[in-house]
Amino acid sequence: MDLYEYQARELLEEHGIPTPKAIFAQNSHEVDQAAEQLGFPCVLKAQVKIGHRGQAGGVKVVKDRDDAILTSEEIFPMTIHGHKVSGLLVAEAKNIIHEYYVSISVDRSSRDFDVLATANGGTEVEVIAKEHPESVKRLHIGALEDFDLEAATTMARNIGFYHADVDQAAQILLNMWQCFKDNDATLVEINPLAKIGDPDDESSKSLCALDAKISLDDNAAFRHDGWQRFADPVHSDPFEAQARQHGLHYVHLTGEVGVIGNGAGLVMSSLDAVSDAGKDQGNDIAPANFLDIGGGASVDVMRHSLSIVMSDPQVESVFVNVYGGITSCEQVANGILAALDELGESKPIIVRFDGNASQEGLRILNDSRRSSCMYATPWKKQHRKRYVSLQPRRRHVDDTVY
Amino acid sequence: MTLFIEDGAPVIVQGMTGHQGMTHTARMLAAGTNIVGGVNPRKSGTTVDFDGKQIPVYADCTEAKEHTGAKASVVFVPPRFAKGAIVEAIEAGIGLIVVITEGIPVADTAYVVELAMREGVRIVGPNCPGLMTLSANSDAKGVNLGIIPDGIVSRGPLGLVSKSGTLTYQLMGELADIGFTACLGAGGDPIVGTTLTEALEAFEQDESTKAVVMIGEIGGQCRARGCAMAHEHMTKPVVAYIAGFTAPEGKQMGHAGAIVSAGKGTAQDKKEALEAAGIPVGRTPGQAAALMRKVLDTLPQL
Repeated sequence: MDLYEYQARELLEEHGIPTPKAIFAQNSHEVDQAAEQLGFPCVLKAQVKIGHRGQAGGVKVVKDRDDAILTSEEIFPMTIHGHKVSGLLVAEAKNIIHEYYVSISVDRSSRDFDVLATANGGTEVEVIAKEHPESVKRLHIGALEDFDLEAATTMARNIGFYHADVDQAAQILLNMWQCFKDNDATLVEINPLAKIGDPDDESSKSLCALDAKISLDDNAAFRHDGWQRFADPVHSDPFEAQARQHGLHYVHLTGEVGVIGNGAGLVMSSLDAVSDAGKDQGNDIAPANFLDIGGGASVDVMRHSLSIVMSDPQVESVFVNVYGGITSCEQVANGILAALDELGESKPIIVRFDGNASQEGLRILNDSRRSSCMYATPWKKQHRKRYVSLQPRRRHVDDTVY
Repeated sequence: MTLFIEDGAPVIVQGMTGHQGMTHTARMLAAGTNIVGGVNPRKSGTTVDFDGKQIPVYADCTEAKEHTGAKASVVFVPPRFAKGAIVEAIEAGIGLIVVITEGIPVADTAYVVELAMREGVRIVGPNCPGLMTLSANSDAKGVNLGIIPDGIVSRGPLGLVSKSGTLTYQLMGELADIGFTACLGAGGDPIVGTTLTEALEAFEQDESTKAVVMIGEIGGQCRARGCAMAHEHMTKPVVAYIAGFTAPEGKQMGHAGAIVSAGKGTAQDKKEALEAAGIPVGRTPGQAAALMRKVLDTLPQL
């Protein structure tokens, strides 16, 4: 789960990492009050879980009250790279002397934790890595390792923090690691970690986390009270919320064909098949969702799954692709019929069964004489074309391979 | 020895007495796996009847190993207890630990994987369908550790390694007439005990494996490159399939590891990296199977 900036900075503060004073606001009245409290100039930052918001006009410095209200009214209704703005963070403006970049993340290839840092921060680390690869340092923290202040100090020197900043940087690195571990994060990124203050007054200078990105490990939600403090009811997709209630892996997409299958890999593969067929047919039909019913799905799991997908007005037809390993196609077939009984038959369903109890499953669907269902097995090219055709057809069972 | 385990090796099941554990222990036994015990401290000293066969339950892995000489453990323990269970198996000196459990926090996995590497123990998974070997001896059964359905395939010259469960079965089904030496589900989490690259290396070492099917998916950025590099040191052909060409950025597609982030880890990138290294990549599972048949035609003889 990705956090909003205002949530991420809360976690940093809890771990003693300096951040600018800031207040989260959800309407222009709250922005007005917050700006009043923080003083001018201050920064209005759109809260969206996507990068490049600055370039999209989502971050603005405002100089007075009118400016704050007018600017906030421009930003609130914005959709940035497909993400609706969920609120504004009003933050005090800081005088930036220098910018560093530091992140800690899970490293899949070395199978430990990766500290990525550069003394040339400010822009995106990918850009810096391309332009000045030598300035980007990559260091590792082992899962069994004890990362302490001494190790953090060595790391701060290796990263290339200026001599005067090393001690504070080491403390921040150590606190970031603690924040990462305590919260079961998969990413804690501070960009920029800025040196702020009056350029002419050495004693005023210090490091401060001006922006942060944190992702949490969904698998660890059980030991963090389900991450309830970060729940986002207003902005979550209703279908995704409904699927979550039933413990289903669901992702809402933009197309017309509902896709349900067993196993994340097979469902991804089915999305590819639907998109490819859409391209082949020249009608650009695309998947409306990803829905994995998991292993060993029961009648009820399939019933809930089909109900959720069919209730999406975007969905015009449904493709069910099940390769029965632990999952029994018979259970899936009964689940499909149970859902159709509840919903009535409004949209065509194309079913592909293979593996465990696939013949029984097909027979159940066949005997039910549902006019909207079409069944195909196995998964061959000539069938895949039909999977995305939208006209309800006469029942069709191809069981020649069995 | 096909892949990481010998035919007939004694195996214990951690979490055997749970629902998943019971179902799959019965299936593994039916497939001919030599299951010699289960572990559950609360049911220690009891036995469980599997179709007439009594399987004893031990208090912990150390006790189980002392009594049975177990060489491998299959873990069905729920996520919140999985780390403790795996540490216990490592400390008991069990050489191969196959973790089926889905939903283990990545910090826990990082911990047990590093501990296992330090102790010279091999972990397969987590969040994987397991490891299945097919015996070279037609009288003997192979070893089925996990949830891969028995009976899809028989012994043949192919190796298979996969990030996904169902796609493993799909490709096994597509190439069932050719047959396999072993099928290994590497697991869909960001950190796994046995990577695709390590599995490729193991298949390279195995004499009876003549070619390898590799099934990947979106997420991460280094794996495909790692595999491409590994392939340079391989004498055996590899054919790949990757799922998720149409996956949108920033959305986790079911598996904890399957996410395209900041434009990295796309299926297209992986396809290009693999093809640049001479590994053909199918656009669909069926196409990957067809590519493998073509490759096999070019091999001198099997």
